[in-house]
Amino acid sequence: MVKLENITKDFFPPLSYYDLLSLRWKRNEPTRALDNVSFSLPKGKVLAVLGPNGAGKTTLLKIISTLILPDRGRVSVNGYTSASDDEKIKSSLGMVIDEERSFYWRLTGRQNLEFFASLYGMNNITIKTRINVLLDLFKVDYDDKRFDSYSTGMKKHFALMRGLLHDPELLLFDEPTKSLDFAAASSLRDFIKATLVKKQGKTIIFTTHQMDEALDFADLYMILNKGKMKAFGTLDELRKKLNHPDGTIGQIFLKLTQENNNV
Amino acid sequence: MFNRIFAFLKKDFLIESSYKLAFIFNFFGVLFSVLAYFFIDRLFGNKIISHLQEFGVNYFAYVLLSMAFFSYIGVGLGSFANRIRSEQVQGTLEAIMLTPTKITAILLSLAFWNLILATLDLIIYISLGIFMFGIDFTKINILSTLVILLLTITSFSGLGILSAGFILVFKRGNPVSWIINGLEGLIGGVYFPVSVLPAWLQFLATFFPVTYAIRAIQLAVYRGYSVMQLAKEITFLVFFSLFLLPLSLAFFKYALKKAKINGSLTQY
Repeated sequence: MVKLENITKDFFPPLSYYDLLSLRWKRNEPTRALDNVSFSLPKGKVLAVLGPNGAGKTTLLKIISTLILPDRGRVSVNGYTSASDDEKIKSSLGMVIDEERSFYWRLTGRQNLEFFASLYGMNNITIKTRINVLLDLFKVDYDDKRFDSYSTGMKKHFALMRGLLHDPELLLFDEPTKSLDFAAASSLRDFIKATLVKKQGKTIIFTTHQMDEALDFADLYMILNKGKMKAFGTLDELRKKLNHPDGTIGQIFLKLTQENNNV
Repeated sequence: MFNRIFAFLKKDFLIESSYKLAFIFNFFGVLFSVLAYFFIDRLFGNKIISHLQEFGVNYFAYVLLSMAFFSYIGVGLGSFANRIRSEQVQGTLEAIMLTPTKITAILLSLAFWNLILATLDLIIYISLGIFMFGIDFTKINILSTLVILLLTITSFSGLGILSAGFILVFKRGNPVSWIINGLEGLIGGVYFPVSVLPAWLQFLATFFPVTYAIRAIQLAVYRGYSVMQLAKEITFLVFFSLFLLPLSLAFFKYALKKAKINGSLTQY
């Protein structure tokens, strides 16, 4: 379903004015965001990507969604490779960008959804039906209010609905419950677990800093640190690998990320 | 592709119409600039009448048409870069780029709304010219005018797409826009005929499509020149279109790839 082979990504800092003016146009040392990352995620599985800030989690999601091109390696989603089938990959995945600014604030929630649905090539009847299904699913009745009047939780619902508009097989979430209060976060987690995972069998990759969230609905875990994939597998596999039979995901995470920091 | 373009148009209309006073202020903006040129004409118009003989109009009529037409030039030139920049700053570009929409559809969609606004501006200018100042547009050659409008949009779109490519990579400090905006008004014949300029600037003006576009539209509208009579200007505009459009599309694709490599697609 999703396969990454030897993905490496470097980001070069921009040249300073001093470098430009003194004609020293040699690129500065890059920051390696991802270093030779490979994994394969079967259909219907949920992968939690864990890692400290700056580990490369968001870069990983953006590379899978074709927003960033890797320097080396190959990404394939549903058999389509990002080098040649960008549009097919985009059609088969939904990336949930919860960035509030990624919506048009002067439009209503429904108008936003209608606009993005049209960009997925859906016709008007399908758009209407699909949006109504999603509004029912999320129990949303404020879709005719302007987007700038919504609370953070409401905006998050619309971000999720936008990701689900074209009913993609693969969903990518970047910290799905970030900045939500406890009740809203629990309700969102329940929705993902009960509806998207159990009922609809979606393949999901999500990043998080919260171990309980990862444990709640992930089948597989990836621990990233400074761009390197330190571990990938089920909790039992990670325990075995670290020879830590009773280890929690939090303990494993700390062991792997702190080990690296000490090197 | 048409559904997607229509979706952009609808979205832009809904956003624009949510700013209720914008249209009224735009109307008054046009009216005030027209009035300013009307009084400039009364003050200095006679001084350049000899330069306007070939167009058969006074300074005010010349500049009114140039200004009206300039909105169309702006559609080609500025709309791509401005709209890309605006989506970048708003934060919506990333969400758009996540959808399976072809780059050409995105570029066309971004320009269409500005084309509609430019047409509204054109209507305001021409209506003011006819009903308030009694300018005579009866000699207009409709076919030539449409051909010139179309070629102007395509040739300036080439420059505009180049400009948008720079915006994707550099975000600000767009050299294409700087060169064109700085020079076109000065030497392109927008505010006064090119013949007013010294010989070396007139020579420089021959390298800019705006020079041919403005001259052609003046002759098509006020003198009723046919397509054949405007063959020289049309040939240059076709040349600019054929040269600039493929070049700019290739450059934009390169710029998009570069932004994806740098991970800077949505940075501003």
